[in-house]
Amino acid sequence: TGVTEIRSGFNAIKANIQARDPIRTLSILSHPHSLHKVKSSDKCCIIHKLFNFYMDKVFKHCQTEDSYVNRKISSIANSFLSIKRKLEQCHKQNKCLCGQESTEKFKQILVNYEGLNITSAAIKSLGELDILLDWMEKSH
Amino acid sequence: EDALLPAPQNISILSTNMRHFLTWSPVTIQGETVRYSVEFQGEYEREYANESWIPICECSLITATMCNITEDISATVAYNLRVRADIGARRSEWGTLKGFFNRITTSLTPPLMKVIADGYHLLVDLEDMGPAFQFYVLYWKKGQESRMQQKMVKDVSSTVHLDTMEAGPDYCVKAQTYVETINRSSTFSQTQCVRAQGGRSMWL
Amino acid sequence: SGELYCSLPNPRNVHFESINMKNVLHWSAPEGTGDGVLYKVKYSVYGIGKWIRKPECRKINRTWCDLSSETADYEEQYYASVKAFLNGMCSDWMETTRFNPLTDTKIDPPTVNVSSTEKSISIILTAPEKWKRSPGGESVSLLQVYPGLQYNVSVLNKKTKKRWFFSISNNTLVVPWLEPGTSYCVSAQIHVTTPLLRSGFSKEYCIATLKDKTA
Repeated sequence: TGVTEIRSGFNAIKANIQARDPIRTLSILSHPHSLHKVKSSDKCCIIHKLFNFYMDKVFKHCQTEDSYVNRKISSIANSFLSIKRKLEQCHKQNKCLCGQESTEKFKQILVNYEGLNITSAAIKSLGELDILLDWMEKSH
Repeated sequence: EDALLPAPQNISILSTNMRHFLTWSPVTIQGETVRYSVEFQGEYEREYANESWIPICECSLITATMCNITEDISATVAYNLRVRADIGARRSEWGTLKGFFNRITTSLTPPLMKVIADGYHLLVDLEDMGPAFQFYVLYWKKGQESRMQQKMVKDVSSTVHLDTMEAGPDYCVKAQTYVETINRSSTFSQTQCVRAQGGRSMWL
Repeated sequence: SGELYCSLPNPRNVHFESINMKNVLHWSAPEGTGDGVLYKVKYSVYGIGKWIRKPECRKINRTWCDLSSETADYEEQYYASVKAFLNGMCSDWMETTRFNPLTDTKIDPPTVNVSSTEKSISIILTAPEKWKRSPGGESVSLLQVYPGLQYNVSVLNKKTKKRWFFSISNNTLVVPWLEPGTSYCVSAQIHVTTPLLRSGFSKEYCIATLKDKTA
């Protein structure tokens, strides 16, 4: 349910945010490893890590000069936080174990992120939110 | 130096059916037009963004003492809200809402509902309350409350078909709203009963 | 080839038009250029970024290019770009926004099959198929692409002019207890909740219930 709200918040600023990302040759989330190749057993762990990634490393570096965009980013970030709280309950009950493969995949995402300066990496990550949502919803 | 304007008082939230309004008492200065500006701060801003505040531009330098904050209260987390007054260059301190506001506390009213018997078919018209709302519709043969049936309705753009009816007995219907994002429901609407009879509608 | 003098006005409004994931690049001719303009097209997979030329859309004078085959993997996202040529001059490459086939496609209404008995009508709905490379190619229903796909069905009693509305997840609906010898018109719409996609309503398919033999 919160994902639907994130999706509508993102759709409102998708064109604006993606237009601020001129780099076609690099993706944070989808290359070289596609999220769609993640094993279902690793899915919970990757989602958990990615939610922390967006909270800690993405939203706070996406301030823009456009107050409407900033409000939508706040809306998305607060929805993320709300879902993250629920995920933490899974994580506490050990239902969200991280295998070797998911740890490697997430490491690659951080390498992609650190390959750019912080603002570019954050804006690119925000612009790829539909990649994350498509994957999360695919086998929801 | 101009006397500081008093901060707005009696700041409160009116929230019904997921529409949220911030209200406050007017600051009155003889012969002056006082304007107000509103800002919000979600849990994310408090925990991850240095407790930053975000202005609501639709409620910047307004003369009204109410602001529709629905669009910005778009997550089920605790929000802080504040408002200040301006007259020209003179500006008050922020008046802050006492306590947080979480949309989970919105009051939910039962939906307006009209039950229709069209021949042997039981139908219901429901009020369109916006995309956040779904409806649980319960219907049963009068006297057989234990065999209640339920239908969850999302799209209410036109008359919704519930079921077919046998000729003779009364069929009763009641509905409640359900908001998935806060996982809460309203109380049930009044029960309405109808009866099928040949091809003609019968109201009871 | 020698670098042409690129001062030709640019193609305009370069964008994907996608229906059931048949993804066609469209654009408008550069302003004020009249006839004789030729175009070439390239595309890239977002994140890989190697621009790939589309040979079938090289030196074309039309203002569209079917990139369905190149953008068939809906787990990827894409950019496409167009360049115009006229009398030895050329324009800049003009790009689309990032194209996500999964969320940016439009969905056709379902096909509707209706049959009737004396007192009921039976409705069978079929979701459209995803675009496929060749008629003989493997058919993929959009139901497989969007697992949350549902149908909204509207049934209009032509005599009473009353319209009923059904929301169903499976693709068949039987409406019993109808009036004999009465015409009913059915139309249906596809509704996907995640991502949020909605087709238009299909055209109306009308059928009459059989006359009451005992009457």
